[in-house]
Amino acid sequence: MVQIYARKKALAGAANVLLAGAEKLKTSQNEAVRNRTTLDFHIELLRLRQNWRLKKVSNTIIGDLSYRTAGSKYLQTGTFEVTKAEDDEKASSPPSSPLPSGPTPAKQNSALRVSIPSELQGVAYIEVLCQKDHEDLCSVNINLLGSGPPPPPTQTCIGSKKLEAAQNVLFCKELFNQLAKEAVQLQAPIPHMVVGNQIMATVLPGIQLIIGLCHSTTADKKQQHPSPSKSEHDHVLEHSLHQLLREVHHKNTHHPFPHPATGPLGPSKKRMFAGPMAADRYELLEMTKTDTLLEQIVKQAQHFIMRMRTEYVLDTIAKEVKDPLISSHWNTLNSPTQSCVKINISTHGYDAVCRTPLVIHVGEKSLKCICRDGKVMNMSYEPQELRDLIFCHINQHQILAVQALAKTMGWQALGNSNHLGDDSTGTVEPLGNASSCLMSSPTGDRIIAVRCEPHTGIQVSVAHSPRTDFFPSRLVTERKWEHLGGQFRDVRLDKMEGRNFLHKMELLMASLTSNS
Amino acid sequence: MGVTILTQFPTENRTGPHTIDVLSKRIMALGALQQGQFLVDCETYTSVPQLGPQRTVHVLHNSEQPATVFSLLETGTKTIPLATDGLFDLLMMKMSSFYTSKKQTKAESKGPRYEIGDFCVKLGTVTVSSNFKGILVEVEYRPCVVPAMCWDLLKEFLQGFLGLSGPTNPPAYLQNRMQEIYSPIDTIHQYLEHFTIFRKSPGIGMRA
Amino acid sequence: MSAPGTAMDSLSAALKCNIIPNQEYLLQGSVLDQYVEVLLHRLRGLCDNVDSGPESFHDHELCFTLRAGSGSGAPIVLPLRVRRALDVADAPFQLRYVGQQELGDKNRPTVVRSSIDMACSSTIVEFLTELGCRLDFEYIARGYMFRKGRMKITVSKIFKVAGNKPVETVEPISQSYLVELSVLAPSGQDAIGEDMRIFAEQLRPLVQLEKIDYKRLGSMM
Repeated sequence: MVQIYARKKALAGAANVLLAGAEKLKTSQNEAVRNRTTLDFHIELLRLRQNWRLKKVSNTIIGDLSYRTAGSKYLQTGTFEVTKAEDDEKASSPPSSPLPSGPTPAKQNSALRVSIPSELQGVAYIEVLCQKDHEDLCSVNINLLGSGPPPPPTQTCIGSKKLEAAQNVLFCKELFNQLAKEAVQLQAPIPHMVVGNQIMATVLPGIQLIIGLCHSTTADKKQQHPSPSKSEHDHVLEHSLHQLLREVHHKNTHHPFPHPATGPLGPSKKRMFAGPMAADRYELLEMTKTDTLLEQIVKQAQHFIMRMRTEYVLDTIAKEVKDPLISSHWNTLNSPTQSCVKINISTHGYDAVCRTPLVIHVGEKSLKCICRDGKVMNMSYEPQELRDLIFCHINQHQILAVQALAKTMGWQALGNSNHLGDDSTGTVEPLGNASSCLMSSPTGDRIIAVRCEPHTGIQVSVAHSPRTDFFPSRLVTERKWEHLGGQFRDVRLDKMEGRNFLHKMELLMASLTSNS
Repeated sequence: MGVTILTQFPTENRTGPHTIDVLSKRIMALGALQQGQFLVDCETYTSVPQLGPQRTVHVLHNSEQPATVFSLLETGTKTIPLATDGLFDLLMMKMSSFYTSKKQTKAESKGPRYEIGDFCVKLGTVTVSSNFKGILVEVEYRPCVVPAMCWDLLKEFLQGFLGLSGPTNPPAYLQNRMQEIYSPIDTIHQYLEHFTIFRKSPGIGMRA
Repeated sequence: MSAPGTAMDSLSAALKCNIIPNQEYLLQGSVLDQYVEVLLHRLRGLCDNVDSGPESFHDHELCFTLRAGSGSGAPIVLPLRVRRALDVADAPFQLRYVGQQELGDKNRPTVVRSSIDMACSSTIVEFLTELGCRLDFEYIARGYMFRKGRMKITVSKIFKVAGNKPVETVEPISQSYLVELSVLAPSGQDAIGEDMRIFAEQLRPLVQLEKIDYKRLGSMM
């Protein structure tokens, strides 16, 4: 009995030891789990700290996602708060956090919680549209309501992504704010309009640039401004806008250093020169002038439209006119407000005989054409002016080419005019003007007249002198009078053989060159 | 910035304002437009005896180059020009124990400024310490920077509205520099030449 | 457009409004050659936008004085400095008058001295010489500059200039770099001194930026 009792006691003692050990293990494991979360928290905080500005204010960790340190002067703050994910479950909103609204994304895998002010939550972008006139605009506005929302930010986004999105919202807001301010202040001939989240500026007559701030929060689904499906959003101009504001930020912080080093900080290099180089008041005034963001983007939009119009005009002419060939070469590199196109007018198979090169500089509201002879033609934004100019040059090209061809065939150019159309030389063309020339065969017995008109095309006439057949009459008694030149007879070019005008002319001249 | 010719216009018993009036009517008749006013002033400082041989510093301002102070230092053997920022005047104050100005020598030329095509015309009433001394006409031809290349044009233009009083020869200061590139300091030299003459001449006696 | 006032009128108006930056707030110190890299790293961390690396400079300074023996007592002396950049070919010359440091409050964190600073044409050296100035000494300063807000920090090595020797063969005067922290401001903006003191604290112990009293330095030697 005593033995059993003793055995029982011994077993109980052993069991106690085991239980105590198990208990110890359990607590230490619990401890480890808790420690890991704090460890995770600290590591994540460290990672966050590497990319974002954080500081400890009493018991909270406050961060700043604004662009203020990068040169922004926008007044809205971009503070956010970092808390432990665990704490959130106990107290749904920390008391000191100013704006912890919006749904808390479920983040089981993150030990950090980042709370962002509600006005910076969601997704924002700047929408830029170029539109033709008011009617288009209205239809787009209607479209706005019907189209679907952009994808909401993913629920699993970690703190950094959320901060990046918020920073983007802040940036877009600053950009839009700045543009709206400028739109109100600028004295444009057609005033800019700012309505709600949209700025409307007239770029060229009948064409508006619309800049909108689209901000959609996941919390407030009614307030969406999704991109309209109909008129396309201009990504290039949007990018330019972002770039322009970043440039402003950069300029705010990157002041030039003085040389020599004792000079004052602040004035630009140009301004430093103004005194000793005796700059006059115009130069000084120019130094103080800078284009506002809106002016710059309007200029870029103007150029964009001008480039598009020029492209369109050149392409349509190239399609319409098969003879001569019109090829245009756009420079691949161009500035946002200036580009350049080189146009070659040539005839297939006769490039070596004659080629008419033109260079067109496309600016913001005007075109400048440098012609073959070095003449500079300035044109407005109306595409018809460019069209007229090109047609005028097509005619001139044909006339010059046929004369150059004549020279190689031994014919003689008697005269030409590029600008017919006054009272002495025929009717005035409704658009552009006609060109003509006169050539004689090597022996002088044949004369060809060519007249190019933008509308009717090319007319070719031939005169023989003397006429091959001669019958004396009472008036013309002798054959020698026939040398004075005879009647011109039209050639039906369309019935002639030949690939193109010059080929036909070559054949015509060859056939008219007498053997004698 | 172009080439500037400065010439004196005789008042011939007329008052200063009247002469300016006559000239401005003539230039307006040619189609010029008034573009504000202009002012060129000159203060002269001489060295104190302790500094050794006497030297003179002329400090001039031209409203056409508002950010610049021009100084001309005359040592007796040569003239050294200097162009600086506006703070040079402050430095001259610091130098007051070395260089002193005679209060009676402050000269200035001021009046209307006209633009006509490529020309800029200024009709200046000259005063020396507030006493009227005469009329200076300044004509600038902007597109050219070499005096020799536009002197004939400028002469013709000047004679066109000054009549026989227009200059027949380039200003003395420019005569050796006709082929050089003209700069704003050359205008300052011309003004100083005229101011020096005006200071020596007896006052006409009429206050402008 | 109204008639332009005389330049002197506008200058005195500017003086009255106290918008001309004519006071220099200055702290100076030095660092040994072997630690200058560490200092530059620290400055890169502390200063504004050094993303493109610190700005280097290479200047030649000529120190003139204009003096006249007055009848009674000590002669009047006006120091004038001309500085030009050797590394920027077309930069204007800089003429500078630096006054005696203000005695003022002992507790002031920085040296405060009047300074008139202007860009000028290259004729300035001849102009000053003919004006009666005497060239006291000249040197070449080469180094880096930084900015933090309105503060300018220069870390420069000073080289002797002997006669007409070419610039490449100059010798350094010591094995250390001169460190200067300065602000040019209109008079009366003493708050800037406090900012400078705080900034200087952050450079310790690499470099001790202090108010250097030249008069006392002179008497120590």
